[in-house]
Amino acid sequence: MIDKGVMAYCINTDRYRYDRIASKTIPLLVKNLGLPVTVVTNEDTLPSLPAIPSVDHIIIENQTGNFINGKQWNNLDRHRAYELSPYDKTLLVDIDFFCYSDNLLTLFDTEHDFLVHDQVHDVTGKDSYNFRCNSAIPMVWATLIFFKKSQLAKSIFDMVAYIKSNYEYYCNLYRIDFTNFRNDYAFAMALQQINGFGNYPVMPTKLATLPANAKVTSVDDNGLTWSIEGMQGNLAHTDVHVIDKGVAYV
Amino acid sequence: MDISKLKQRSDRSYAIALEKQNALEKAKSRMILAHEGHLFKADAETINLVKTLSEDSETFVMLDVNDNPVLVEDPKALLYDLKSKNQEVLNSYHQLYKTIIETR
Repeated sequence: MIDKGVMAYCINTDRYRYDRIASKTIPLLVKNLGLPVTVVTNEDTLPSLPAIPSVDHIIIENQTGNFINGKQWNNLDRHRAYELSPYDKTLLVDIDFFCYSDNLLTLFDTEHDFLVHDQVHDVTGKDSYNFRCNSAIPMVWATLIFFKKSQLAKSIFDMVAYIKSNYEYYCNLYRIDFTNFRNDYAFAMALQQINGFGNYPVMPTKLATLPANAKVTSVDDNGLTWSIEGMQGNLAHTDVHVIDKGVAYV
Repeated sequence: MDISKLKQRSDRSYAIALEKQNALEKAKSRMILAHEGHLFKADAETINLVKTLSEDSETFVMLDVNDNPVLVEDPKALLYDLKSKNQEVLNSYHQLYKTIIETR
């Protein structure tokens, strides 16, 4: 077992070319974290992925059938990260997470078995992500998940799998407004259940996020620029989760 | 003053406030450090607590960012790490802040 590494899912859909996003984000992970990276993908996407030394691939038959805004959403296999990860300590990242710093390395020096963000920072200043009224429990952000191979982490991932297979029931139980499967809520519910309906450790920072209506206008090795409603902005050496899938073509 | 100039002024102030907020969040993200397997914020409160407690005792217990108790057995090392991280981050924030003000 390798001590530590980064894992990301990258599976194209009919609508979105995640491999093109991966060609931007995977090199940043390699450069700024200096850890081995494993990309979980499927047979169709694999040939399009960038060939980067130190990046391994795990091929799965991904589950389909989930949708967001009427479009295919391949997010149904995240709970398998625990079994798929070749690392003792894993940082699981969304493929549209742009890693521009080494801040996340700090997580590998902790004793925590499982950490996620419970706060987000909208870098456009629009506070687009206040979902507190959309469910009975606070949401967490499954964009970045740090976990160790441990009984606790395994229990959380197993709980997510169980919640996923009974998602309609759990959606009703926790009064979640969104009826499609969302890992953010599945992990929030699993964390609450496994931790005895109490508090659980979280990443002590806010996840910087560029919302979907902000269009990325340029990307380079040090940061990116964006525009929204005629306003321009930029981020340098700041980790950021980019929702705009148009970033694939920038 | 012409209303368009006032609007320009308002837009500039908004842009500065937004860039400052992003720079501050960036600094806060950078201010986290791990010590003995626990996470701490290298902020003024933590530095002051460690400094104060270490004046009376060679070891003490404090809370990490997730409210877990930590026995600090080497307060000097922790204080050094906290101060170093704090100043590294705030210096960067200071430089960035100056750039924001000057370029806008």
